[in-house]
Amino acid sequence: MSFFMNSAANQTVNMQNMAMAEQELEMVSDLFNRIVSSCHTKCIPKTYIEGDLNKGEAVCIDRCVSKFFEVNKSVGTKLQQMSGAGLPM
Amino acid sequence: MNMNPMPQQPGQPGGATPDQLAFFNSIFRENCPFKFVFGGVTGFALGGVFGVVMSSFEFSGPQLTPQLQELSTREQMRIMLKDMGNRSYSSAKNFAVVAAIFSSSECFIEGYRAKNDIYNGAAAGCFTGGVLAAKGGVKASAFGCAGFAAFSTAIDYWMRHSE
Repeated sequence: MSFFMNSAANQTVNMQNMAMAEQELEMVSDLFNRIVSSCHTKCIPKTYIEGDLNKGEAVCIDRCVSKFFEVNKSVGTKLQQMSGAGLPM
Repeated sequence: MNMNPMPQQPGQPGGATPDQLAFFNSIFRENCPFKFVFGGVTGFALGGVFGVVMSSFEFSGPQLTPQLQELSTREQMRIMLKDMGNRSYSSAKNFAVVAAIFSSSECFIEGYRAKNDIYNGAAAGCFTGGVLAAKGGVKASAFGCAGFAAFSTAIDYWMRHSE
């Protein structure tokens, strides 16, 4: 099992896969940073009493992340419907 | 690109890992039924100490009947200790009930509102005062609610702004 045979053919596929993987990694990390930034702004007030999350903030962050993904999913579904029906975006 | 979902926690007791910290928090700080039990235990201990202190003030008063003074010292001591035990036990029970209801209701209210501010303590105090005074009717409940809410708000305010 040598990886050095068909190196030319493997090269193109690997490049495509790598580009896709890079794009997906960028998307995921962008999503993560957006969630962190938005939920931090919404849920954690500006005056810090201590370093740990108290119960209110923990519940708020759970709800915030869950809502973010719900919004993400429903917007994605809507966009898919619109692009499927051929409507201009 | 700051992608670090599990950062190190410097300064934690004993150098806890984030998983241990999450577990600890989920049991002790975010679990409302546990807070009911823990508040009851803490209230019991505090009430016991308080009852012992208060009973030590009470006894050297009109309880000194001539009959009591006729008994031997050992008998007097025994009666006094029994009285002290009764007082501290009743005080401990009262404190335990109050602390259990207050801490668990505050936890539930905070979990519902998803915010941590001073109104949680006020609402929990109102609920506790209302429940404790429920046997006296609606008016007594309202007074209990207002009084305990004010007390709880004052303590909370002092604790938040004392630094």
